[in-house]
Amino acid sequence: MTGHPVSRRAVIGAGAALPVLAGFKAAFGQDKSITVGINLSLTGADAESAKRIFNGAAMAFDEINAKGGVNGYRIVVTPYDDGTATAGQYDPAQAATNARKMVANKATMAAIGPQMSGAGKAMAPILSQGDLAIITPASTNPDITDPKFAAQYRPAGKPIYFRTVATDAFQGPHMANYYADVLKVKNVYILDDSGAYGVGLADAFQAQAEKKGIKILGRDRLDPKAADYTAVLTKIKSMNPEALFYGGVLQAGVKVAKQSYDIIPKVIKAGGDGVYGPEMLSAVGAPANQGWYATIAAPHVTDDPKMANWIKAYTDKYGVGPEDYSVTAYDAALVIAAALKKITDGGAAPTRSAMRDAIQSIKVDTLQGPVSFDANGDIMDKTISVFQIGSDKAFPPDDMRQYKYIGVAPAS
Amino acid sequence: MTFGDLLLQQTINGLSLGAMYALLALGFTLVYGILELINFAHFNVFMVGSFVGLWTLQAMGLSGQSVILTGLPLLGVMLTALAVTMVVSGVLGVAIERLSLRPLRNVRGPAAMITTIGVSYVLFNIVLLTAGADSKNYPNPLPPLTWALGDAVLRLREVLIWIVAVALMLALHLFVQRSRLGKAMRATAQDPEAARMMGVEVDRVIVIAFFVGSALAGAGGLIFGLYYNFTSFIIGFTAGLRAFTAAVLGGIGNVPGAMLGGVIIGLIEAMGSQFIAAAWTDVIIFSILVLVLVFRPAGLLGRVAPNRS
Repeated sequence: MTGHPVSRRAVIGAGAALPVLAGFKAAFGQDKSITVGINLSLTGADAESAKRIFNGAAMAFDEINAKGGVNGYRIVVTPYDDGTATAGQYDPAQAATNARKMVANKATMAAIGPQMSGAGKAMAPILSQGDLAIITPASTNPDITDPKFAAQYRPAGKPIYFRTVATDAFQGPHMANYYADVLKVKNVYILDDSGAYGVGLADAFQAQAEKKGIKILGRDRLDPKAADYTAVLTKIKSMNPEALFYGGVLQAGVKVAKQSYDIIPKVIKAGGDGVYGPEMLSAVGAPANQGWYATIAAPHVTDDPKMANWIKAYTDKYGVGPEDYSVTAYDAALVIAAALKKITDGGAAPTRSAMRDAIQSIKVDTLQGPVSFDANGDIMDKTISVFQIGSDKAFPPDDMRQYKYIGVAPAS
Repeated sequence: MTFGDLLLQQTINGLSLGAMYALLALGFTLVYGILELINFAHFNVFMVGSFVGLWTLQAMGLSGQSVILTGLPLLGVMLTALAVTMVVSGVLGVAIERLSLRPLRNVRGPAAMITTIGVSYVLFNIVLLTAGADSKNYPNPLPPLTWALGDAVLRLREVLIWIVAVALMLALHLFVQRSRLGKAMRATAQDPEAARMMGVEVDRVIVIAFFVGSALAGAGGLIFGLYYNFTSFIIGFTAGLRAFTAAVLGGIGNVPGAMLGGVIIGLIEAMGSQFIAAAWTDVIIFSILVLVLVFRPAGLLGRVAPNRS
C-alpha cells in the first residue's frame, strides 16, 4: 500500500464535485480541498450501524460541497474500515494501521470516528503524534479523553480526541440511576463482552449501582466469539435477579438477547449504546428483543419535528433511516466544516494544528444543539437518552424507530 | 432453583453443546484417520452449512420467528432442510478435496494443511462478502414445547439436537463398521498402499470421507442455527476449534472418541461457566486437553493412526 489510501469512493466523490470545481478554478485559479478520514467498523457485527453513521457524516460533507465548499475548500472523504473478518468486529490493530495511514496522508486535516472505543484507544496515541484531530460520533469509553491517561492517549500533549457524544462515565452511571430511581431495581447481574467499551461501561454502571444500593449479584465476562451463553444465563437464572445489565457491543449482544429471552424472559434487561443498533431489530428480532432498554450518549433528536426534513433527506439519499449516531456524525462533520471556516475566513491555509485548535475552541449549532468541547475534548452536553425496544405496527420491525424514546436518564 | 436442578439444567446445556461439537469433530476425525491431515476448511464448511440451512428454510417460506409448524409439515421441512444442507455441504467438501487437496496428495510436509487454512479463509470471506457481516435471524419453526424437570427446563430443540446427533453418529458408526465402503475406509486408514494393492479405490474412499465429514458439519451448522436462532460468518472458528479439541481429546481418527470428546468439552464448558467463570472457559478446556494429552498422548479412546513410516 502507498501512503495515499485514495479509495474508489473518494475518487467518485471528487468526480461528482467536478462541475463545482470548475467554478472555483475560474474564481481562484486553483483547486483547493482538504481530506477528512472517516474510520468506522464497516466489517463485522457492527457494520449496519457503521454504514448509517458513515452516511451521516458523508451527507454533511456532500451538502457543504454542493454549496461550493467552505471558503472555496472542498472536503474530500477518505473512508477507513477498522473491522476485520478475523475479529468479526472492530480490530484495534487495524484501527492503529488506519490511524497511521491517516497521518501519512498529508492532505488529511481532520478525521471522524471511530465507532468503537477499543479502536479509539489504539488510534489516539498515533493521531496525537501526528497532530491530527479526530471527532468521534460514537465511541464513549471515558479513558481516552481522561487527563489521568494523557501520557497514554495524547503523548504529544494537546487533546486530539473530541466527541460529539457523552462518555460512559455518564452513560453507565445514569443508567444505574434509571434502574434505581425509575425502575426501582433492587438487584442486578452484570455481563460484559471483554472489549474496552463493554468492560468500561459495565464498570461505570456497577460503581454507581452499588452507590445507589442496588445489590450486585455477580459479574461475568463473555467471549464475544463464543456462540453459547446458555450456561452463564442458567447460572444467572439460578440467582433470580430482577435485572440484567450488559456492557458490550452487538457481536455478543445479539446472542445475549436471544438466549436470555429463552432462559430469563422476565428479567429487566438493558445495555448502553452498544445494544442500540439495527441488528438488535433484524438479527435478534421479536419477541427476544422486546423490552430491552438501551441508551445513547447524546440527546435524542430524531423524533423532533424540526428534524423531519433532515430525516427525509437522509432516508431518500441512502434508502434506510438514520440512527442517533448518524446525527452525531453529521454534527461532527459540521464541527470540522466550522473549524475550517474559522481558519480560512482570514485567508489562512488550513493546517492540522490550526484545525485542532479551531475545533477545541469552537461553538457550533448542530442538529443536537450547540456543540462545544471542554479542555479534554469531551462534549459539554452530557445528556444520556433512554430507549426501550417495542413493536410499533406503524413502522417495519427493523426500523430504528422501534427503539421507543423514554426520556433522559437521571443525572444522579 | 435447587442445586440438583441447576446441575441438571447445566447438564442439558452441556450435552446440547457437546452434540454439536461431536458432529463437527467427526469430520476432523474421518479425514484425519484416512489422510493424516487436519482439515481446517472444516471450520467454515460448518459455517457455510448453517447458511445453506438458513437459505433452504427461507426458500420454504420460513423467516424470522413468526412461522411455527407442527406434525408432518414440521417433519417435512426439517428433513428437507437437513437433506439439502447435508448434500450441499458434502459436495462442498468434495470440491475442496478435488480442487485444492488432491493436487497436493503426494507433497510432503505441511502444504496440504496450510492449504486447508487458506480454503477456510476463502469460504469465510465469500460468505462475509455475499451474505454480509451482520448476524442473521435464523427461522425457528419448532413449537415452543418445554418439559419441566423440577426447576430445570428441557426444550424441544434440545431433544431434537440430541436425536439428530445420535442418529447421525449411529449411522456413521454402522457405515464405517459394517458397510463395504466403511471397510475400505478402515483399510485405507490403516495402510493406504496395502489397501490400494488389495483393490481399494483409495481416491474414492477419500472423496467419500470428505463428503460424509462435510455433510455432518453441514448438519451441525443447521442444528447450530436452529438451536441458537442466529448465524453469522464468524461462527466457524470458536466452534471449530473446540470441536477439533474434542476430536484430539477423544483420540483423533477415532469415531467414538470424537463423540466422547464432544460431549466432554460441552459439559466442561457448561460446568465451567456455572462454577468458575465464563471468561475462563477456554483456559479450562485447553488445560484439560493438555493434561489429557500429557498422560494419554493418543487421547482418551486411543488414536487410529495410519501405519505410515
